Amino acid sequence: MKGESRRDFLKKAARWSVLALLGGVAFRMAGKPGAGRRSGMVWQIDPAKCIQCGRCETSCVRTPSAVKCVHSYDICGFCNLCGGYHQPGAKDTGTGAENQLCPTDAIRRRFVEEPYFQYDIVEDLCIGCAKCVKGCAAFGNGSLFLQVRHDRCWNCNECSIARVCPSGAISRVPSGRPYRLRGQG
Amino acid sequence: MKPNPDRIWIVGVAGVLAAVCSLLGGYWLTRPLDVPVNARVPELDGRPASTALVENVRIGSLFQSGPGRASDLPGEWPGFRGAARDNQGVATAPLADTWEPTGPPILWRVDLGEGHAGPAVWAGRVYLLDYDETRRADILRCLSLDDGRLLWERGYPVHIKRNHGFSRTVPCVGEGVVVTIGPRCHVMALDAVSGDFLWGMDMASEFGAREPDWYTGQCPLIDQGHVVLAPCGPQVFLAGINLRDGRTAWTTPSPGHWKMSHASVAVGAIAGKRMYVYAGINGMAGVSAEAGDCGRLLWKTEAWTPAVIVPSPMILEDGRIFVTAGYGSGSMALDVKRGEGGQFAVSVVKRYGPRDGFASEQQTPVEYGGCLFGILPKDAGPGRNQFACADGMGTILWTSGPGDRFGLGPVLLASNRFLVLSDEGELTMAQASTEGWKPMAKAKVLQGHDSWGPMALAGTRLLLRDSKQMICLELKR
Repeated sequence: MKGESRRDFLKKAARWSVLALLGGVAFRMAGKPGAGRRSGMVWQIDPAKCIQCGRCETSCVRTPSAVKCVHSYDICGFCNLCGGYHQPGAKDTGTGAENQLCPTDAIRRRFVEEPYFQYDIVEDLCIGCAKCVKGCAAFGNGSLFLQVRHDRCWNCNECSIARVCPSGAISRVPSGRPYRLRGQG
Repeated sequence: MKPNPDRIWIVGVAGVLAAVCSLLGGYWLTRPLDVPVNARVPELDGRPASTALVENVRIGSLFQSGPGRASDLPGEWPGFRGAARDNQGVATAPLADTWEPTGPPILWRVDLGEGHAGPAVWAGRVYLLDYDETRRADILRCLSLDDGRLLWERGYPVHIKRNHGFSRTVPCVGEGVVVTIGPRCHVMALDAVSGDFLWGMDMASEFGAREPDWYTGQCPLIDQGHVVLAPCGPQVFLAGINLRDGRTAWTTPSPGHWKMSHASVAVGAIAGKRMYVYAGINGMAGVSAEAGDCGRLLWKTEAWTPAVIVPSPMILEDGRIFVTAGYGSGSMALDVKRGEGGQFAVSVVKRYGPRDGFASEQQTPVEYGGCLFGILPKDAGPGRNQFACADGMGTILWTSGPGDRFGLGPVLLASNRFLVLSDEGELTMAQASTEGWKPMAKAKVLQGHDSWGPMALAGTRLLLRDSKQMICLELKR
């Protein structure tokens, strides 16, 4: 049986190398953060549809999730007792761990003046579990809500959270208006 | 005895290993952490130890008269939840069964300071404890039921910061005296006709009361010549104040480390004993309302402990007590029994969360036909904010459905029909029925938001408000 010549082998190797290179570049381009932004659309959560099921924390391809709690100060009551910060049965409104709802200490409470307190989200600690969002929705006026943070989101072609979102709250929005914020019309 | 070489060897190796482990352990415990750790401990919010604003409030110091005249129209709504404190009105003429698309005729409207205070009506006069942002004062406005024009107003300067509005409570009128409780726990008693100042009291300085978050929502009760207050302070739980002179007639010592809630004092008979029932933060108790032992503590329980309580306890027709609250609390039914020795004992009959039965976040439910009616709280799951009917144990019989949600708005029963107001000012009239939701008419009558203030019905006139305006509707057929 006649073996493959060296010339044929080199030609075939060169062809496969070029194909592999092009495939790699294409794959890289598709998976690169911001690829979708170039196509003009990004993933975002509609706070009005979100039911705080907790899947944003566990279903995102990123760890921790690219979904974070955000705070609309415009509609916050700045209350001493905050449903997004305090456990439902908390007997004290202080900063002790036993009073707090957030599992990762991602909400910081700060005294403004009597009787107002400001609540700030520490995004690096937020895991998108929506516990605070649920508490705020049940207790207050929904000034805490979840949003996909586009500095963290890879903007996959098929968002793994959108696939499992039970309320259909995640959809693509124009990258020119990438957030759906409460309290701003 | 010759030492065993193997034993020496084993002990030596064990000793060396122990020393190495100790060194490694010591190093591990003393080396600086390579990950940041934040201790979640109290007092990290920077709140000063004491921020109490001590203010010398001269209750009743402001007065102004107006051009209004008291109406001759019949009908009264003399305080929180009406004459019988059951939120049921008696219309003096048949009410219309349908409305024009724009709703019942609006007879008059008045602008108010932002808040949720509700009106009381007595002898053709409408009383409302408003907050005047310009003068920074609690002002009791006395208006004509005819046209809403001012007869007089009296109040006092007090510093209040906007916190979901300012005003909260409903005045109480009895025996010719009108009594108010302001957002900062100031009590004011005036001649209900002339507006003359009778007496004033600061429940905080008098009884050590501490106003709840978002200011007090407690509405006064006039009963048997006394104003019944619930300071729920460290020493005094309830107090009876002489209506005429403001002197303290009786007090009930505090049964525990309880605090004032937004609820009001309920009054009714249980097991043949007339009593006051109040649900504070951390506990609830019944106090005698009979002349012989008025103010005596009859029973107490610490089984009902929501962090925020707005609806007042309900003493049901069968003698049970029903309490409910929002913010994840749900509801509880209690049984108060009188033993052979005359001692009262309280037991929890049923307790459930907001998704498991009837509950209310802000308004006290209405009892009708042996059932409870009200608006389900935000955390009630699919039934959230729907009008609902439940049996006396809180089992939901029906709801208004997802197309009819009402937020936190008030409910009133009159002439076999419910009047239900939504947050956005849409008024719905529905047949009073235990069998199902039977809406009759619906109209948007208020243009503002947060229409949470309790409504009042006087004759055939309905008074209702949003956060900044009160209107008077004519419901007559």
